[in-house]
Amino acid sequence: MHSMHSHEGLLIGEHFLLGDYAAAEGAIMAGCRFFAGYPITPATEVAERMSTRLPQVGGIYIQMEDELASMNAILGASWSGAKSMTSTSGPGFSLMMENLGLGIMLETPCVLVNVQRGGPSTGLPTLVGQQDMMQARWGSHGDYEIIALSPNSPQELFDLTIRAFNLAEKFRTPVLVMTDAEVGHMTERVIIPPPEEIELVQRPLVRKGDVEPDHFRIFRDPETGDDGQVAPMAVAGEGFRFHITGLTHDERGYPAMNAEASEWNIKRLVKKIRLHRDEIIQVEERYLRDAEIVVVSYGISARTSLWPIEQARKEGIRIGYLRLITVWPFPAEQIKALAKKIRAFVVPEINAGQILLEVERCAAGQAQVIGVNRLGGDILEPQQVLSALRAAAGKPDTTKADKC
Amino acid sequence: MADFDITDAGQFEHFGTESVGDSDWITGQHPMDGLLRGERLPHIWCQGCGLGTALTTFIGALQWLEAEQGWDLDKVSVVSGIGCTGRIAGYVRLDSFHTTHGRAIPFATGLKLANPELKVVVMSGDGDIAGIGGNHFIHAARRNLDITVICVNNFNYGMTGGQVGPTTPHGAKAVTTQYGNFEYPFNLPYLAAASGASFLARWTVIHARRLEWTLREAMMYPGYSFVEVIAPCSTSYARWNPEGRGLDPEKLRRRGLELMKHYQNIGKVAHGTHPKDAAIKVDKEGAIVEIVEGVFSNEPKPDFQSAIDEQAQVARERWQAAKKMLNERSQIPQRTDIIFRTEVQLGGFGGQGIVSAGRIIGQAAAIYDKLEACFTQSYGPEARGGAAGSQVVIASDPIHHPHLIEPTNAIIMSQEAYTKYVPKMATGATLLIDDGLVTLSPDQRQDLKTYGISATQIAEELGNSRAANTVMLGLWTAIIGAVSKSAMQQSVAKAVPPKTVEVNLSAFEAGFKKGLRYQVNNTL
Ligand code: SF4
Repeated sequence: MHSMHSHEGLLIGEHFLLGDYAAAEGAIMAGCRFFAGYPITPATEVAERMSTRLPQVGGIYIQMEDELASMNAILGASWSGAKSMTSTSGPGFSLMMENLGLGIMLETPCVLVNVQRGGPSTGLPTLVGQQDMMQARWGSHGDYEIIALSPNSPQELFDLTIRAFNLAEKFRTPVLVMTDAEVGHMTERVIIPPPEEIELVQRPLVRKGDVEPDHFRIFRDPETGDDGQVAPMAVAGEGFRFHITGLTHDERGYPAMNAEASEWNIKRLVKKIRLHRDEIIQVEERYLRDAEIVVVSYGISARTSLWPIEQARKEGIRIGYLRLITVWPFPAEQIKALAKKIRAFVVPEINAGQILLEVERCAAGQAQVIGVNRLGGDILEPQQVLSALRAAAGKPDTTKADKC
Repeated sequence: MADFDITDAGQFEHFGTESVGDSDWITGQHPMDGLLRGERLPHIWCQGCGLGTALTTFIGALQWLEAEQGWDLDKVSVVSGIGCTGRIAGYVRLDSFHTTHGRAIPFATGLKLANPELKVVVMSGDGDIAGIGGNHFIHAARRNLDITVICVNNFNYGMTGGQVGPTTPHGAKAVTTQYGNFEYPFNLPYLAAASGASFLARWTVIHARRLEWTLREAMMYPGYSFVEVIAPCSTSYARWNPEGRGLDPEKLRRRGLELMKHYQNIGKVAHGTHPKDAAIKVDKEGAIVEIVEGVFSNEPKPDFQSAIDEQAQVARERWQAAKKMLNERSQIPQRTDIIFRTEVQLGGFGGQGIVSAGRIIGQAAAIYDKLEACFTQSYGPEARGGAAGSQVVIASDPIHHPHLIEPTNAIIMSQEAYTKYVPKMATGATLLIDDGLVTLSPDQRQDLKTYGISATQIAEELGNSRAANTVMLGLWTAIIGAVSKSAMQQSVAKAVPPKTVEVNLSAFEAGFKKGLRYQVNNTL
C-alpha cells in the first residue's frame, strides 16, 4: 500500500462534525490508510469513524487486542509504506508508551491521537483532563525528542491531524496529537478544503532501483552521507533486505552495544527534532506587544482563557496570550525572551501544573509564574481564570464581569 | 544426582559478544550464505544451542520456496521479539524487524495488512510469544491472518539466564524455580488450536529435515500457521534439569548434542494428533519423557484478508450513497444580523431525540446560517438512568467557552429534566416544555418566560411519536429566533432518516405555527 490514492471517498465541504470524527477525517485526508486501535472513552469515536471510513477509501481498519498491539500494528503498517494512526486515552496511552519508544527508535512515521481524560489510572473515563502532557514528553523510557500538537476545536483536530502526519513523514517519527475529552466530544463546523488545496508531505523514501541494496543504509542519507539527519526510509518488500532493531544500532540498523553507538543513535533522534524546532513549533499570539502578563496555555484551556483575557483587558489589565499549538518541542526561546519583558506568566491547564513547570524553567525567576488549575473532570471556569489574571495584576477581584 | 547450587547462576556466559559487522564471514562457500548477514556473524548463540538448527531449517525452507515455488524472497519479511530466538531476525538477510518483547505478532499484523503481497514470518521464543506476547498470539490465531508464527520453545528464558517460563515443564528447574516449577506449562499447539489456528505442527530440531518440510508448508499455507520448534538451550535450561545433568558444564556443544539425542529418543512422530493429546510429557522430576511431533492440523479456512476485501466492496457502495446526499445540500444566504451568545439546554429522557435535536440546532446555526455553534452532549453518569441532556451555544462571534454558563433558553421534555435544569437558567430565560409531559411546579420561577406545547401528542397525531423533538424545534425556532426557519428545516431534513423527512417537517411546522401564535398572544 503506497501513498498515492485517488480522491474518491474523501469528505470535503462544511460539516457539523464531532471532534473525534474530525481527527479521523483529517487523517484520511492526510493519506492515512491504516488504523489500529482499541476502544476507550473518549477516543472511541475516532476508531468508530475510521472503521466505517477507511474501507471506503481503500484503507484498513483493525481493532487490536489491546493498545500494546495497536501501537505495534501501526508501526508495522508504516514499514509497509502506509501512513498509519491509532487513537487512545489515558490508560491506553500508558500501554502505548512501550512501543511509542520503538517507533521513535526505529524512526517510524505514524500518528497517535490522545483524547485526554482525567487520571491517574482509570480516572474519569468520560470527563476532560490535560494530565498526560508530561507523559507525552517523557512517557517512554530513554532519551528522545517528541512532537506533540494541541488542538482547541474540531476544526483544529482536522487541521492538526494533517499537520501531525506531515511532521511524522518529514521527520520519520511518531507524532502525538494531544487533544482532550472536551474538544474530542464537541461538535462544531469543520471546513474541509478540496484535497488539491491541502499540502501533504510524503516521507523521504528509497524505492527499488534507487540505490544498490548493498550500499543502502537505513539510517543514512545515501546522497549526503549525513547520518545526523532524517534519512530516506525503505519499506518492506522492495529488495533492500534491511534490518531494524529496537536495540541501540548503527547506520545499517544493526545492533551496536557500546557507548559510541549510543551517542550516535540518541543524537540522531534528538538532533533531527531540535535542529528543526523553528519549523515544528507553532504558536498563536494575541496582544503580546503591550503585555505585562502573558497567559501561556494550550488546547481547550487556552480557548476558554480568551474570554477572561478579553474581560481583563477591558478592565485595563495588559494581558497577552500565547497559545501553544505545538506543545513539544516547547517554545523555550520565546518564553525566555518574554520573561525578560513581562511581570508574570499565568498558565491555565486542567492538571496540577505540568506545562507550568516548563514555563517556570524558561522564566528562570525573571517573571512570576502562576498556575490556574482544575484537576480534571471539567474545563476551567472563566471566572476562575479572570480572578487569577486580576490577582496577577494586583487588582482586587471584586469588579463584576460582563457576560461571556 | 547432585543438586546445583543457586550461587552457580552467574558461572556461565549465556551468550557471546555482539558482532557489529567489521568482519565478513560470508565465504561464498556455504549454500546458505546468500540468506545470512555475514557481516553480523559470528552469532551470539551459545555452543550447543538449538537455534542454529532452527535458523538453518528456516533458510532451507526459504531456499526451497524460491527454487521450487518461484517465491521472490524480497517479499518475505521476518519479525521477531526479544530473546535468544528474537535474534534470528538480525541474522537472516531479508527485510527483518527486531521489535519489542512479545510484540512481534502485532507488528507483523500491521506489516501484512498494509501490504498483503508480503509473506510475513514471526520467529520468536516461547517466553516472547507465549509469555509476554501470549495475548497477541491467541488473537492472531483467532483472526486467521495469513502469517506464519514459528515459536522456538526451549522451556525457559535463555537470554536472561534461565528463568522459568510459560512452557517450563511442571517440576522442572530453572534459576527461579530451584525447588521445581510449581506452575503448569502451556501446550502451545493446543492453545493455538483453541484460538482458531488451523495449521499446527511441532518438531524438535533433531528432525531438521522434517521441520524444514513443515516450514515450507506452513509458509505456503493460506492463513495463520503455527509451528512449535523444540530446541535445546544448552546453557540455561539443560544445566538444571535431568536431561542435561551429568554432562560436563564446560562442554556446551556436547551438552547440546546429548540433548538432541535425548529428544530423538523420546520424540514420537504422530501426524494428525489432536493437539489436546500433544502435551509434552514429563516425569515426577520434570524430566521430559515424551514429545509428540508432526503436523497436527492442516485444514485451510477462509482467511482474514478475504473478509476485509468483501467488506470494502460494501463500504464503497455505502460511500456512493452518502456522497449523493452530500451533493444534494442546498445553500441559503448568509445572515448579516448579529446573534449574541445564546445558550440552549435540552433535556428529557432517552429515546426522545434530545441529543439529535441539539445537534440539529447546532448544525442549522453552523452550517446553514453560518453562525458559530458548539454542540455538546452529556456523557457518562450524567447521561445514565434514562436521562438525556444536550447543550448548544450559538453566537455570531467565536465561541470561547463551549459550556453553558447560564442557559438563555431550554427545551425540556421530562419532569426530571425540568427539575434538573430549570434552576440553572439565566434570569429572564425562556423555557419551552412539552406540556403533556412536564407539569410546572407551584413555585415556578417568575422571571422565566414559559411556553408549552403538547409535542408528543402532536407527533403521535402526525403518525410518528418520535417526531416530538421536531415539534419542540419548530416552537424553539419561532420563539427564540436565533436560527432561521429555513436553516432549521434543512438541518432537520438532513438529520432524520430519509423516510421520515416529511413527517418531521410537518411536525416542525406544527411547532413553528404554535410559536408564531404565542408571539402574537404572549406566553402560557
Ligand atoms: S537459548 Fe540457551 S543455549 Fe541458546 S543462546 Fe540462548 S542461552 Fe544460549
